[in-house]
Parts: sequence; structure tokens; C-alpha cells
Amino acid sequence: MSAPTQFEISVVSTGLVVLVLGYNLVKFAWNQPLQNGPGFFLGVEVPSGFYDGPGKSWLRNYRAVLVALHLILAAALATIIALWRWNLTPLWAGGAALLYVPTMIGFAAWTRHKLGANPPVRPVAVALESRHLRDYISWPLETLSVALIGCSWWLLLSHGGKRIGWLDPLGMTWCALGLLPAKILAVRCSFPIPAERAEEHYQYQDVCRRIWIRAWSAVGWFLTIILFGGALRRAWSPARRVPGFQWLIIGIALVFVIYYMILVRRAMRLASTLGRNLLPPGSWATPFSRAPFPWTCASQTSWTEMGLPYLIWFAIWFGGILVFIVYSLSKSRL
Amino acid sequence: MFLTLQTNDKRPIYQQITDGVKALIARGNLREGMTLPSVRQVAGDLGINLNTVAIAYRQLQEEGFVTVRHGAGAVISSRSPRPIDEAELYKPLRTALTQLILAGLNTRQIVGAVREELALLQQKEGIQ
Repeated sequence: MSAPTQFEISVVSTGLVVLVLGYNLVKFAWNQPLQNGPGFFLGVEVPSGFYDGPGKSWLRNYRAVLVALHLILAAALATIIALWRWNLTPLWAGGAALLYVPTMIGFAAWTRHKLGANPPVRPVAVALESRHLRDYISWPLETLSVALIGCSWWLLLSHGGKRIGWLDPLGMTWCALGLLPAKILAVRCSFPIPAERAEEHYQYQDVCRRIWIRAWSAVGWFLTIILFGGALRRAWSPARRVPGFQWLIIGIALVFVIYYMILVRRAMRLASTLGRNLLPPGSWATPFSRAPFPWTCASQTSWTEMGLPYLIWFAIWFGGILVFIVYSLSKSRL
Repeated sequence: MFLTLQTNDKRPIYQQITDGVKALIARGNLREGMTLPSVRQVAGDLGINLNTVAIAYRQLQEEGFVTVRHGAGAVISSRSPRPIDEAELYKPLRTALTQLILAGLNTRQIVGAVREELALLQQKEGIQ
């Protein structure tokens, strides 16, 4: 088995992204406004009979935005394939995220502004249980991940030779290490839960928190293993003699991703069960603060608030990734 | 275990937190040695300022209900607050009774209400 070429890696990665996007569209995004039942639209409380009246056009508009987004992405990908310019796929993936996330957040913000600008104020409850990082984040695994990244850099720097493309390892290190602050924020940050059915809300919030942490762990481990495998192949000659070594590494990385995704899927099912009939976050205000604006996490309106710490983290992390992509493309022939 | 803060409560937020924790201690829900969540966590979960929670914790510490240990956070120290004189001890009772009288309750109703609340506390605490 020969080593995969850049073209083959691009095809596999793009195929995976397309699969995830398609699955998300069919399984979750299409009916997301209805996830909290007929009394809500995208987590905003609506009057009874809403879906017999203006709700129809809101739902139609939401789906039109969704379809338009996917058509734009499909057209861009079709162009790349038609021109056979697979080196543009990272730009496509980055552009997809850049287009999709702000558009959906914008639609949710518009919905909030038009349908639920003044949500009702409800009593608030606070759990008197400490949330420790160790209960959510496996420090031995995090240490192992950091050690593997460190080891990869040691291999590259000491045995990697002179002609190394530093952008890829730098980018992967940035992505993988940058996820740890996000996990810590997921544990630390929270937003108020209503006093009514506080225990159930708390459990639901906790499950959503774990969904995020596991999803980030999946991405982190994928990148760590790819980086380590690449460094091994570059710096350790026995690895170069193993046939299909890169495929082996991609396979191991995918096993980690699949393992974490199974955990995420299980947690999402649990969240669906727990979250049924609970007040969606953002549909009510506390006596002390306005209603928070929540992220939407696949099928679940997550209990992870889009607060300032998250926005700062996301801007830095994602901004860094974009810089890598743009710089990488500027160096390559477009 | 949850601390609930109401929408129509006129007390300052820190006071609501302090009173809520004290009530949980009185009912036996919070026992000696149990740890309260960090100031940062409570503030984040309630969506309020850090200082507000810090004031509440400081008040609980000053009254002897919690001990703040470096690295361990606020730990419930004892059911018995620091020794205070009788006049100070009865002050909140007098305030509460005044409010009940002003609300138009007669002596029998007030005594009934006090007995009811006391029975509720004793029932949860398992004391006679």
C-alpha cells in the first residue's frame, strides 16, 4: 500500500466533511426550530397556534436560509471538483464554517429580536455542588496528548531534516492545544437554570457540557495522532519502511474520532430525553440578568452560553486557523 | 441541592444567598464539612457579579457558618454560629414579627405560622 498523496487526503477529508454536513442537515438542522415542541421556535416561546399562522412563514424562511447555505457550499465544492483544484478544499472547509456559523447565529438573533425580545422573568436556582475540572476533563489523557505533541515537535526539530513544511504541524498544534481552554470554559461557564424542575435542568446542562467536551476531544485527538504520525514518518526511518504507514495513522485517528462520536451520540440521546419538555435556555430571564443567548449544538439548544469568554476564545482559536489556511494558500499555487 | 432566588424578593441578592445557605444548614441539607461551590461558579451560574457572591460568603464566614480554607473553598463549619448575645439573636425574630403584625395577622395566626415553620424545620432535621 503506497502512502496517501495530498490529493487522497483532501478527498477523504472533504468526503468526511460532506457526510457530517449532510447528516447534520437531515437529522438535526431541518427541524431544529421545533425541537422544544410547538410552544417554541428556535428556543423562543411563541403563542399557541403560532405554527398555524406566522410560524409557517418563519419555518419556511429558516429552511430557505438552510437550503441556500448548503447550495452555496455545494456549488463551491462542485467548482473545486470541476476545476480539479483540491488544494482549495481547506479554504472551502474554512469558508463553510465562516458562512454557516454566523448565518445561523444571525438567524437565531433575528428570531430572538422579533419573537422573544422580552422573555418572562422566572425564579432562578443555583446548584450547591462544586464542578471540578477533573470530573469532566481527563488530565492523564490531556497530559498524554500534550506529551505526544511535544514529542512530535522534538522529532521534527531534531530528526526531521531541513526541508520541513512547518505550517501543517504548527496549524495542527494550534488547533489541538487551543481546544483545552474551550473545555475548561465549558466546565467553568454556565448560565442560570430555572427554579422549576431545577434538578432536571441541571442534569440536562451537565450532559450538554459533556457533549461539547467530548466533541472537542475527538477533534483534538484526531489532530494529535495525525501530527504524531506525520512526525514519526518524517523523523523515524523504520516508520517510513512500514507499508501504508500514513493510512495506519489516519485509521488510528479515525478510531479515536469514532469512539468519541459514539460517546457524543449517546450523550445527545440522553440530552434529548432529559431536555424534553424543559424550558429552553434563553426563553426566560433571571431576576438579575437578561435572557442569555445560547449556542445551538446539533439537535440541542445547548446550555453553554455564548458568553464573552467563549466569544474571545472562539475568535482567537478560529482566527488562528483562518490565518494558517490563508497563509498556506498564499504560499501554494492557486 | 439547590438554592432558589425568587423574582419578587426585595432583599439584596447577597442577603438572599446568605439566608438561603443558612436555611439549608438549619434544615440539615448542608452538613458540617460539606463544601460550597466556588464564588466564581455561583456567580456564573446565577449570572451575577463575583463580588455579590463574595460578600455573601464573607458574611457567612463572619457569622461562623462557613470556614474559608485556601484551596478547599468554603466549607460548612458548624450548625452553631459564633456566640452572639440574646438581643442580637432575637433581632431578626422581632423584625419578622413586626412584619407579620403590620401585615394584619393576629397573635393566634402568628403563633400558628411560627409553629408551622418550626415543625417544618424540625421535620426536615429529624429533631423533636
